[in-house]
Amino acid sequence: MAVWRNRGWLTAVALVSLAAPGGAAWAEEAAAPARDLPPPGKVRDLDYGDVLFHFFQDDYFESIVRLEAARDMGRLEHHRGDAELLSGGLYLSLGMHAEASRIFAELLRGPVPQSVSDRAHFYLARIGYQRGYYREAETALSRIKGTLPGKLEPERRLLAANVLMAQQRYAEAAAQLATWTDGSRWAQYARFNLGVALVRSGDAARGRPYLEAVGTMVPRDDEERALKDRANLALGFALLQERAPDPAAAALARVRLDGPYTNKALLGLGWAETDAQRPDRALVPWLELRERKVLDAAVQESYLAVPYAYAKLASNGQAAEQYRHAVAAYETETRHLDESIAAIRAGGFLDAILEAAPAEDGVGWLWQLKAAPEAPHTRYLYHLLASHEFQEGLRNYRDLRLMQRNLERWSSSLEAFDEMIAARVAANEDRGPKAARALEKVDLDGLAQRQADLAAKVEEVAASRDVAALATPAQAQQWAALAELERRIAGLPEGPQREALAERHRLLRGSLLWELDSAYKLRLWKVRQGLRETDVELARAREQRGLVDEAGIAAPRSTEGFAARVGELGGRMSDLQPRIDRAAAAQERVLANVAVAELEAQKARLASYATQAQFALAALYDSAVAAGGGQ
Amino acid sequence: MNPSAHSLAARRLRLCAGMLILAAAALVGPRAHSTDAAAEIRTVDQDVQALKKELVTLNRDLFRLEEELLYPASTQVAVFLSVNLGTFFALDSVQLTLDGKEVTNYLYTEREVEALHRGGVQKLFLGNLKAGEHELVAVFTGKGPHDRDYRRGTTVKFDKAVGAKYVELRITDREASLQPEFTVRQWE
Repeated sequence: MAVWRNRGWLTAVALVSLAAPGGAAWAEEAAAPARDLPPPGKVRDLDYGDVLFHFFQDDYFESIVRLEAARDMGRLEHHRGDAELLSGGLYLSLGMHAEASRIFAELLRGPVPQSVSDRAHFYLARIGYQRGYYREAETALSRIKGTLPGKLEPERRLLAANVLMAQQRYAEAAAQLATWTDGSRWAQYARFNLGVALVRSGDAARGRPYLEAVGTMVPRDDEERALKDRANLALGFALLQERAPDPAAAALARVRLDGPYTNKALLGLGWAETDAQRPDRALVPWLELRERKVLDAAVQESYLAVPYAYAKLASNGQAAEQYRHAVAAYETETRHLDESIAAIRAGGFLDAILEAAPAEDGVGWLWQLKAAPEAPHTRYLYHLLASHEFQEGLRNYRDLRLMQRNLERWSSSLEAFDEMIAARVAANEDRGPKAARALEKVDLDGLAQRQADLAAKVEEVAASRDVAALATPAQAQQWAALAELERRIAGLPEGPQREALAERHRLLRGSLLWELDSAYKLRLWKVRQGLRETDVELARAREQRGLVDEAGIAAPRSTEGFAARVGELGGRMSDLQPRIDRAAAAQERVLANVAVAELEAQKARLASYATQAQFALAALYDSAVAAGGGQ
Repeated sequence: MNPSAHSLAARRLRLCAGMLILAAAALVGPRAHSTDAAAEIRTVDQDVQALKKELVTLNRDLFRLEEELLYPASTQVAVFLSVNLGTFFALDSVQLTLDGKEVTNYLYTEREVEALHRGGVQKLFLGNLKAGEHELVAVFTGKGPHDRDYRRGTTVKFDKAVGAKYVELRITDREASLQPEFTVRQWE
């Protein structure tokens, strides 16, 4: 009977272990608070799009750094509200509740669109719920005016139900749930939570239908299959506690044989059969269970359950042998626990755990650790991970290690920046005098004066319509030659020869003048166009000269500025590094204490099992002696 | 059964049950920590949160320093890639050539493609260019309609002035022809 008395405890353990750390089960997606933030309509700042690109890959740290930098550089002007909301969500994802709360509260102080304020209230409500501030969470939820976008709306409803349940206001939670008729995952989670909460509060009759509904749903994926298993397990144990073995067996039989809840279900199934006075059938699940890894509490208990069933079947010999086997198994397991405790106390166990962690960040890495290779440090990790505080602590420790690596990477970058700045200083010192000498040779003012003189001359030409002034070099030569000829002809003695030469000169001059005159307009336009272009070039040259002068003054200042920034940032890094190391050591100490306490508790449980097995064995011997004495 | 032996067995079983209940009580629900332990857990968590905030701020300042030092605004040119719907094209890779020189050849993971489809914009290239006219050629490789191999290029000539230059490459759907479309938008 001793083993039987254990069922009350087991039921409580099963129900407790079914509920998530916050007190209620939560959909997978909700594990990453920022993940389901909806994207903004259209990206109007490319840098905001860049932040989202990393955010949508669950790279929250890179995303928040880029967001902070882009905001600092004034590159998120079109997405201020969304960016604030996103930053709050990102801080929340990074486990920085205080900063996230501050951002959401700050956001709500200013004038923001309702869509933004609704989401901010939602996240504040979620933080409040996670931290146990249920009244505050309820107030924040009541301030949401519209329908939240995407998955946030069903999550809001689940949160509202959970907040009511956390305050033991089951009737209100049930009333709210009654209006939620869809078959969405969120509604199923809410039903499951309400069912478990009612059973735990002692109102199993009202809790069962909710668990039944979830336990008989048609699951669409692994997450729903797991939820269905949990509902059937909770329902099965609730029914066992009510001494309804057949319905309990039916619920427990719906739990998959290869899921995370199989062991508990097999144990419960055995108890249901025993309760229905069918110990022979109880042996089927219990013997299956006893073949599994002894790390699991349900498996450990099966070592007692199997001989208990044999005893019920009056197979006292087999029962005695199985009790002896149980005592030996518990001793072996206790030795393993001692080894693990010693390994944890020796230090470095968190690093050993994290070596098994997947390299990339994101949701789910923690649970992949469950498949960690078995070593004294990690042998009981699966059980430790069931504790919320261990998970949070491990996450913190991993974050601290990632922070150390981040600083190491930047440290080598800073060294490179330092060298680059030194090279720039050297280049400035080398190039500066050469550039100054080259620039001295360029007389921009002189060129501008020549340009002005030319322009004046062209205008004179235009005013007097001096067509010859715009002659080509060949024409100018001809024009000069004709002038010389005219002078020489004038010097000749009068007579028919001079007349003939003068006539020829007049014809040639007329012909050239006609050529010059017909080309004059085009030439004048071209000259003026040329002058305009020269004007532009001169202005550009002046601008570039200005830039060169500015750069000459600014470059040393800029390199000095960069050098100062590198120095300041290097100082901050040096200051941060030892503080991170100290925090990591403190975190390891805290987690080692949590782990050792957990393993000591397991040891205590094994000790009690071993005692129970020994007493049962003694009772069997006593019975045998008594039976022998009576003969 | 001998009555005295029976009562001994019963006593042993009762004792055993009592011990179990004690052991079980210790195991039900989350274990309560001592006040000191709980305070230490809280303190460490607060310290870690504060350190994380400092690290984010430090990374922000380092990020700015790096960009301003390596890619000053006067010469900076950034090429972004965005996807709007993009149902007619499954992106595999993008090759970027700037003034005849290959500057990026980027191969996409599924996760990155999904991030682009959800509205993320990738900063594909960040570099420096002199003021003046430049030519950017982007070649997109992937699967087009009917799962056929698809390779398309787009060219843009742009003028780089004194300030930073942003060029956005967009993959969109041309509904009329059920084909992908590759366009370029210049931002100042």
